[in-house]
Amino acid sequence: MSREDFDRRSFLKLSGGAAAAVTLAGCTGGDGTPTPTESGGDGGDATATPTETATPTETEEGGDGGSMETFDMTVTQAQMDSGLDPQDHAETPTDNIVTQAYEGLLDRDKQGGIIEGLSNEWERVEPGTVRFALREGVTFHNGDPLTPEDVAFSIRRIVFDDVGIPSPQSTDLGAVSEVVPGDGEVTVNFEGLNPIVFQLFATNGEIMQQSWVEENDTDYINRNTNGTGPFTATSYDSGNEVVFERFEDFWEGPAAVGQLTFNSASESSTRVNRLLQGETDITVNVPPQEISRVQNSDVASINPVPSTRVIFCQMRYDVEPFTSQEFRQAMNYAVDLDSIIENVLDGFGAPTGQPTLEPFVGHNPDVEPYPYDPEQAEQLVEESGFAGAEITLQTPIGRYLKDVEIAQAVASQINSLSNVTCEVQQREFSSLVQDLTTGNIEDKPAFNLLGWGNGEFDAAQTIIPLLTTGATLTVLENDRVDQFMADAQSEADPEAREEILREANAFLHDLAPWVFLHRQFSVYGVSNRIEWQPRTDEAIDPYTASLR
Amino acid sequence: MALGRFLLKRVLQGILVVWGVITVVFALRFVTPGSPINAIAPLDASQETRQAIAEELGLDQPLYVQYANYLFDLLRGDMGFSYIKGQEAAGLVFQKLPATLELAVAATVVAIVLSIPLGVLSATRRNEPVDYGATLFSLGGISTPNFWLGIMLVLVFSVQLNVFKTSGRGVGFEDVVASVFTGDPFLDTLITWLSFITLPAITLGTYFTALITRLTRSGMLDQLGQSYVRAARAKGLPETLVRYKHALRNTLIPVITVLGLQMGTLIGGAVITEAVFAWPGLGTLVIQSINLRDWPTLQGSLIVIGAGFVVVNILVDALYAYVNPQVVYD
Repeated sequence: MSREDFDRRSFLKLSGGAAAAVTLAGCTGGDGTPTPTESGGDGGDATATPTETATPTETEEGGDGGSMETFDMTVTQAQMDSGLDPQDHAETPTDNIVTQAYEGLLDRDKQGGIIEGLSNEWERVEPGTVRFALREGVTFHNGDPLTPEDVAFSIRRIVFDDVGIPSPQSTDLGAVSEVVPGDGEVTVNFEGLNPIVFQLFATNGEIMQQSWVEENDTDYINRNTNGTGPFTATSYDSGNEVVFERFEDFWEGPAAVGQLTFNSASESSTRVNRLLQGETDITVNVPPQEISRVQNSDVASINPVPSTRVIFCQMRYDVEPFTSQEFRQAMNYAVDLDSIIENVLDGFGAPTGQPTLEPFVGHNPDVEPYPYDPEQAEQLVEESGFAGAEITLQTPIGRYLKDVEIAQAVASQINSLSNVTCEVQQREFSSLVQDLTTGNIEDKPAFNLLGWGNGEFDAAQTIIPLLTTGATLTVLENDRVDQFMADAQSEADPEAREEILREANAFLHDLAPWVFLHRQFSVYGVSNRIEWQPRTDEAIDPYTASLR
Repeated sequence: MALGRFLLKRVLQGILVVWGVITVVFALRFVTPGSPINAIAPLDASQETRQAIAEELGLDQPLYVQYANYLFDLLRGDMGFSYIKGQEAAGLVFQKLPATLELAVAATVVAIVLSIPLGVLSATRRNEPVDYGATLFSLGGISTPNFWLGIMLVLVFSVQLNVFKTSGRGVGFEDVVASVFTGDPFLDTLITWLSFITLPAITLGTYFTALITRLTRSGMLDQLGQSYVRAARAKGLPETLVRYKHALRNTLIPVITVLGLQMGTLIGGAVITEAVFAWPGLGTLVIQSINLRDWPTLQGSLIVIGAGFVVVNILVDALYAYVNPQVVYD
């Protein structure tokens, strides 16, 4: 047995365990999903515990007079932030940094379940109206108390273009029509039902202090922090390093981490070297070729977790040969997904057969990935009437883990069919996005690889933007899919809604608008000196880390 | 006076070159694929949102208006506002400049300290083992890619031997200087600084070292064969004086030319080294800006790199006068 074999198997064990943990956690609500509920606070699953973290048990000024053992910690990402304004970005690396200082009304646990944030009680008071009760005793880093006006201002700043900034998160909270601050609470009205409002608020909507935002200019706000979160920025070197110190008056208690540093290294080998030398404690995106170096060391280990990102190949329904459902299904049968995951990704993926990942709301557990069956694929191609078709798969370069290699494997397997020719065209991601986002389906490539992260853990957040008529990224115009989504978005009963979404996923499996590929894994390298478990939603939470 | 006129002429030429750089850099935005809007807007943003962002960035203006506004802003020292980072582009660029200059100077120092003695030694001991060694080193140094050398140095000296830091900048040279006045432990600060900068400086300076070694060797061989050297020896001058005062000084003229060109290249060409060592300089900023489609910051960085190249070359021209007073300026 080679060393690499041993390491890969060890990794598969670890990732299998992580996947099982996620699956199990998703079942805690009793319905195979995470724990979003329509009301929270008083005994609901969503509010059962504040967090399941390894928070310190002794406090610096604790009642027993004991002192907390704090430690310094460093996190190395592949990329730094695009400024510290929590409402003026749309990418994960920035989110990971700013959420150390800023919090939302709701939060998520490591498996994606909804938990308390700055609100400790929430409910839907009417179909299009929700109410958040604010936690008492919360203060900003400058010592001022959190007020309902701050919360209302923050939501308005995100969703309304004429309040502060045109935020790239303007659609992240749904179609908000009005925000009304009350006595210790905030009421949010929507244009319509917004059935996933609590999922949206658990992922998005960091709260800022109104007066602080209004008194400072954009440049200052992007270099400094003043939130309510567990850490406050003390030093900011744009593109290089952000240093935080723990916030002593954090409502959940001060963190065990005294000083927290976020830095970056775009080269994966550099990130791994830092980890092995003890210069960092957590490093993101350890690629397959670096796994054995980490596993063979005695200072760090690999910590993988299934992410919220699904990878697939879109097929435009209005361009031959993809107009044929048989042809689209044939492309799914032609791809040996298990082989790609095993050989290209070294096990860093899980096969999919529907747009929605397990255990998101709406995932259909009865739908299996398409099996690898080239003979069936060739037969379906013949039945479609497009035998001899020549197709080109466009793929971004370096946007997703091993994207080009995956596209090459997919194209090669399709090309090996006797009646289809397939080649790969590599595209710079921004150039590809330009074609994908014009708003006209005619501008999009006929066949392209893409990835989609769904931080809200809800099927609609994947299907609506990617597969409904008129959506920005859609490659499909299908009345039945549109109706499924319209029904789901107007259904107030969570169970009935989930059933609709499950049906939609089964229908989409058969309709095959995509070549369903895999769920991407997040692979972290973690120093052995700390205890920390990664989150499914790619967020990094040093507050939950402890010293071993 | 002739030197003054010459330098004035070069400065004016330099301004023209920088203007050309500005124009080319401005035009790049319109010939490269991908829009900055895609970097700001989420993937599923509506066309209305994209249009609003375009208006906010001024991308809906005619090209000549955008160009004129950009030139006018630059004259006022305004490189534009990075909507990606929510910060002034000039601030971002000039914040990174010291790190890049520090690395470029360190690499140059490494190159000069190693290459000139090695080149001289190689020339004065021609066809001896030291000459063969120096030639082999030069060949290896010129042939070795930066990214490979950097990774190997880190694996050996950081990961295995634990002598240097793997990456990052840690403290800057300004911190070392400041420690003299602030009472911070100077030696500790110096050692920390060296632990961060040594490997990137060697990585960046190796090609440069090899090049100058070869240049010095061939220049020295050429000078040592000149009649003025024979005359000097015939007069009974000590060999050390002949070699280092007469022959080496003349050898340094082409070396300084290359030095200037390479110094300019180092300011803008350290991208790979900065990436391998996560060095927070202009090269890293350029890469980040390209990936984020952060045009104001990218344009600002490229203009500063171009201007740096021009300034270094003007300084090199001025240095000729010191090294060789016989140089005639016209």
